[in-house]
Amino acid sequence: MKFTLIIDDEKKAMKIKEKLTIKDVLKDFDIPLEAVVVKKNGEIVVEEEQVDDGDIIEVIRVIYGG
Amino acid sequence: MLCTKCGSENVIIHRKYSGQHLCKECFIKTLQRKVLKDIKKYKLIKKDDRVLVALSGGKDSTTVLDILSILSERNIIELEAITVNEGIGDYREKGIEYASKTCRELGIPQHIFSFKKHFKITIDEIMASNPSRKACTYCGVLRRWILNKEAKKLGADKIATGHNLDDEVQAIVMNYLEGNIENLTRIGPATYSQKFVTKIKPLREIPEEEVTAYVMAKGLNVHLEECPYRKTSFRKKIGTILTGLRKDHPTILYSTLRGHEKIRKALEKELKEESILRECVRCGQPSTRDLCRACTLLGEIGRLQDEIHSHNR
Repeated sequence: MKFTLIIDDEKKAMKIKEKLTIKDVLKDFDIPLEAVVVKKNGEIVVEEEQVDDGDIIEVIRVIYGG
Repeated sequence: MLCTKCGSENVIIHRKYSGQHLCKECFIKTLQRKVLKDIKKYKLIKKDDRVLVALSGGKDSTTVLDILSILSERNIIELEAITVNEGIGDYREKGIEYASKTCRELGIPQHIFSFKKHFKITIDEIMASNPSRKACTYCGVLRRWILNKEAKKLGADKIATGHNLDDEVQAIVMNYLEGNIENLTRIGPATYSQKFVTKIKPLREIPEEEVTAYVMAKGLNVHLEECPYRKTSFRKKIGTILTGLRKDHPTILYSTLRGHEKIRKALEKELKEESILRECVRCGQPSTRDLCRACTLLGEIGRLQDEIHSHNR
């Protein structure tokens, strides 16, 4: 299964064998859930959301300021 | 997993501190209601107030403007924006572009001021001279000086800032750890003073990640870049520690805020003296000392010639 991961404007093509949730993906990259908002195919999703084949997952860091 | 409010399957947020799951529509409504309720609860705004939002173009101030525009559309308040260009490379220029675009879209008048015009120096230029203090000190003090002065000239009743729950708790912890206990008496939903325009914080009880989710859910155009000077700040270190703690203690930001509200009253009795405000001898702004903090800092970096600062009187 393949999906695209976008973190800090960097696109990564990901290949996985087992099913993952958003929480698993963030854990792999050592990103705390409390510090990000995640979009799947343009819509905000919760950490329990499953990643499916062809998905575009965008991780938006919660930036201080503004 | 279904939305706690309406039963929709499209849940976008799980509030661990309350156990709620919310879909996009219910999240937007709930957050707006919470902010408007807090405005009422803490009496932050009254009818016909002229409110200036300190707008940087970032997520927090844009959210304040967006929610307060609900009140201006209902003709409850008069709403305008005030933007300060501190002179931080491309970072601030980009932010101002976003801020101006939002104001145009919402039909809200925007007033833009700059460090360069007021102080004849930018933050980048100050920091290039290797000063003794960190950028956030100069930036915060000088920005507040411009906001106070210009808001008064513009006839504002309130200045609304974008401080969120994380900002407030970081300030409480920072001041406690640094031993600045007197400062703890000044942290609250509003700062009242007879000589300054009252500052209010409508997002004070909204976690930072929810402000981010709100701008995403509403599709607001915001500048999401981090200030280049923030990366090394003490505030950032405290923010990282608090984020780590929230993983196993989801209510910790609210409990710290509530705890502070309780001890603030006691601290006020013990520590807060009625400070007598007089005029700064150089710039004329209200100050508890002969020289206000802005003039003191400008003096430290050799920028306190009469022609630079006192002409702004």
